[in-house]
Amino acid sequence: MSGFDFDVIERSLPYLFREGMTFTLTLTALAMTGGIVFGTLLAMMRLSAFKPLSMLAGAYVNLMRSIPLVLVIFWFFFLVPYIGAWILREPNPIKVGTFWSALITFTMFEAAYYCEIMRAGIQSIARGQVWSGYALGLNYWQTMGKIVLPQAFRNMLPVLLTQTVILFQDTSLVYVISATDFLGAASKIANRDYRLVEMYSFVAIVYFVMSYGLSMLVRRLQLRIAIIR
Amino acid sequence: MISMKNVSKWYGSFQVLTECSTEVAKGEVVVVCGPSGSGKSTLIKCVNALEPFEKGSITVEGISVGDPKTNLPKLRSRIGMVFQNFELFPHMTVTENLTLGQVKVLGRSTGEATEKGLKLLDRVGLLAHKDKYPGQLSGGQQQRVAIARALSMDPIAMLFDEPTSALDPEMINEVLDVMVELAKEGMTMMVVTHEMGFARKVAHRVIFMDAGRIVEDAKKEEFFGTPRSERAQLFLSKILQH
Repeated sequence: MSGFDFDVIERSLPYLFREGMTFTLTLTALAMTGGIVFGTLLAMMRLSAFKPLSMLAGAYVNLMRSIPLVLVIFWFFFLVPYIGAWILREPNPIKVGTFWSALITFTMFEAAYYCEIMRAGIQSIARGQVWSGYALGLNYWQTMGKIVLPQAFRNMLPVLLTQTVILFQDTSLVYVISATDFLGAASKIANRDYRLVEMYSFVAIVYFVMSYGLSMLVRRLQLRIAIIR
Repeated sequence: MISMKNVSKWYGSFQVLTECSTEVAKGEVVVVCGPSGSGKSTLIKCVNALEPFEKGSITVEGISVGDPKTNLPKLRSRIGMVFQNFELFPHMTVTENLTLGQVKVLGRSTGEATEKGLKLLDRVGLLAHKDKYPGQLSGGQQQRVAIARALSMDPIAMLFDEPTSALDPEMINEVLDVMVELAKEGMTMMVVTHEMGFARKVAHRVIFMDAGRIVEDAKKEEFFGTPRSERAQLFLSKILQH
């Protein structure tokens, strides 16, 4: 046991957090925002009376939920430069960079999960609320934006945040495209200094504390919302 | 002002409305009654196209409701509607409920809309509650706010879908009083209700429905005096006895 050197953690703290954790948190926050926006649009499509639209959204969601995330990360990492080139009509694959590639991947992937949450949220709003909006003369987008979605979002906030905790942990998978997230940064130091046990233990503890803390926050929020109803 | 001709509607293979025809003139108060499941709520929701119908036609001031080219939001904004379960927006204050339609649909300024909304709120006796949320009000109060909300759009006609059915008995009158006042001012109204006292007091005509058909469509005096159909007689005897 005497071979362990926990000082390596202290020495690498600035790098771990300033580089690694910043990447992780930025990716989590942006992918969450993008995922909820895109997911909500998908949910509206899925609930549309127009069959092709709901089938398209349904197919997308089922596809994303049936492929392992690691695979999606790989696929996007190699595909996005070509898709970008095709869209921009460039002859060569465009340079995207690991962060943007990861961000696009997670937004697209998580949108499928946020979609199912928002779908349940929209369906939890009584039909009379929609009627009431239409009866006032509001159109579909106004009724959705002002009446249905704000209520659906509030009802689903705890579940959305729980999904975000999962997203926060899942971002560690970007190590497969050699991005320097929190885990990636720790792993670089671990390999450089041969301090695998120390670094990976520390990483596990940090992930646990942050995830558990956020879960507790969600639980308290749940209680507060329950009282308001 | 509102004219229905041979309106029929199906839910899948089940026919909920069969060949319904009637007219509502300007300033007229028409009460629609009948046993539950007779299609009266569905009929009234067809008037502002909340429920689509497959056959027949409905026109409001000459504008066809079923025509796909009709600007439905615009048409709906001119017809006020009050629902059984109030359907105020629970995440907005009373004042916000009263101004949303005015600002978003009629394009009024927030100041103008608020002034109008508060004036109507005062009229239904609830000005003191302007900053509360619907959940903090009683059922009767919520329904009065809902009536004020519908009136804030300056409607040419009002539709009421069982406005007192979800209320505790002691709150029914406060809502009916507002409706009676509205009727006396000459508002064109179509009211689905079991409140025969209200019908006797302000209705011009009573429509009785059963199994998706308009069984009786008569002047109030005729309806309460000598209902022609057996079904209406039975319904009246049941509802007036208790």
